[in-house]
Amino acid sequence: MTQTTAFPSVSAPKSGENTWLWLLKIITGPLLVILLAIHFIVNHYISETGLLTYSEVVAYYQNPIIPIMEILFLASVVTHSLSGLRGIILDLKPARHVLKILDWVLVIFGVSAVVYGVWLALTIASKGV
Amino acid sequence: MSENWNITLKVSRQKEGEKPHFDEFKIEVDPDEYVLDAVERVWAFMDRTVCFRHACHHSTCGACGMRVNNVEKLTCITYIRDVTHDGGVLKLEPLRNFPIISDLAVDMGSLYNRLETVGVRAILPAPEAEIENPPATWDSADQQYIRLADCIECGLCISACPSAATSSEYLGPAVLAGVQANGIKGNPEMLNIVDAEDGVWRCHSAFECTAVCPSYVDPARRIMNLRTQVIKERFTRLFHKA
Amino acid sequence: MENQRNRPSPSKFWTWFNPIGRETGGWAFILNRVTALGLVFYLYIHLLVLSQLAMGPQAYDNFLALMSNPMIIFGEVLVVAAGIIHGLNGIRIVLTTFGVGVTRQKQLFYGLMAVALIAAFVFAFRMFTA
Repeated sequence: MTQTTAFPSVSAPKSGENTWLWLLKIITGPLLVILLAIHFIVNHYISETGLLTYSEVVAYYQNPIIPIMEILFLASVVTHSLSGLRGIILDLKPARHVLKILDWVLVIFGVSAVVYGVWLALTIASKGV
Repeated sequence: MSENWNITLKVSRQKEGEKPHFDEFKIEVDPDEYVLDAVERVWAFMDRTVCFRHACHHSTCGACGMRVNNVEKLTCITYIRDVTHDGGVLKLEPLRNFPIISDLAVDMGSLYNRLETVGVRAILPAPEAEIENPPATWDSADQQYIRLADCIECGLCISACPSAATSSEYLGPAVLAGVQANGIKGNPEMLNIVDAEDGVWRCHSAFECTAVCPSYVDPARRIMNLRTQVIKERFTRLFHKA
Repeated sequence: MENQRNRPSPSKFWTWFNPIGRETGGWAFILNRVTALGLVFYLYIHLLVLSQLAMGPQAYDNFLALMSNPMIIFGEVLVVAAGIIHGLNGIRIVLTTFGVGVTRQKQLFYGLMAVALIAAFVFAFRMFTA
């Protein structure tokens, strides 16, 4: 086996992406297929008018399993979409410092989206109390 | 014998200091000839400044890769009748994602450097060579047999790969396929090189590399298998440390 | 002597979406990337507009009246189609990564996209006749 010398053509491997990050994408993916199916079917086919009135949405959110399902779905889709976006950006070979900033932006944006979603779900649920 | 066809060769020209453009050459060909024959004839009898690369003329050296009508082909084994018709056009462009030296010849240095750096083997012992219908077990006498690896280092896969279009540091299908053939288990120092941004995770399963490979390497399958090897190795290390 | 034009470059990202010269797997890659970007765009707008829910019954019901415009409904059909296409293509990627269906990835793609097409039509039918 030849040894790997520091050739300029195989640059020092960048750790911008690795098995674990990819596994995050590949696990949230199928999870999403299931959660999305549930979200969609339950929201539009099981509820009476398909959640097309305010009062129906509020009544629907009284069942605690609904906000739980929605928040789980939101967390998965935010994780999957932002790590997917990051993958596309990595194809464009961003500089290291740009990537660092981008990572922070994505994390902050993602966490905010989930926090917002939790707030919204709980607000709606509380309107029917 | 088939009748001769009259076709137009549209050759991409790119010389230093000149604007890149296409030159058209009308020639008569036997459709059972290869695209490379047509290029050679244009060079020999019509324009000696056309620059292209060729050597073995039997799909072993990997020198004559080009884009023929927008698709990567090894021109020494591409029949003219498979890519155009009588009265048709044969558009010839150099491979993508490599710097152009002149006209249809590109600088393959980055590919060769990488293949050598990661230790891709050109000759494999028969038991490792993935031959068709291998024996159930190899006896000691069989161990002496060796086989040339399938990859002829032609670069068609890198030209066709969408990830290679935007990333000059992506190792690319040929290199990753070579690492797969060596295996991560026997070469653990390769793990950090392929389990990286420019390694297996830049592949997005387009399978274009396998679609254009003229030598049955099936790089896409190998990259998928390499991913499995990498994941297995990472999990093994995780649980052994803990 | 070297020509910069033919080198890999981030500015060539538009080539990702160019189907010329590509085969089945390449189309799958294009579809996956296009639907991914479309869905990201839709997702965050969807989250934003749902805030109308918190503004009370009037705001939400008004918003929904706006959303019954046939152009919007058509857009929603596209979103659902994108979701199904992206999801099924993703399944193909998971399968092939773990060695399943690698030699038949073209047939796998066609089969899954046929399912996606049928599902999209069923959904469109229901949306427009409801």
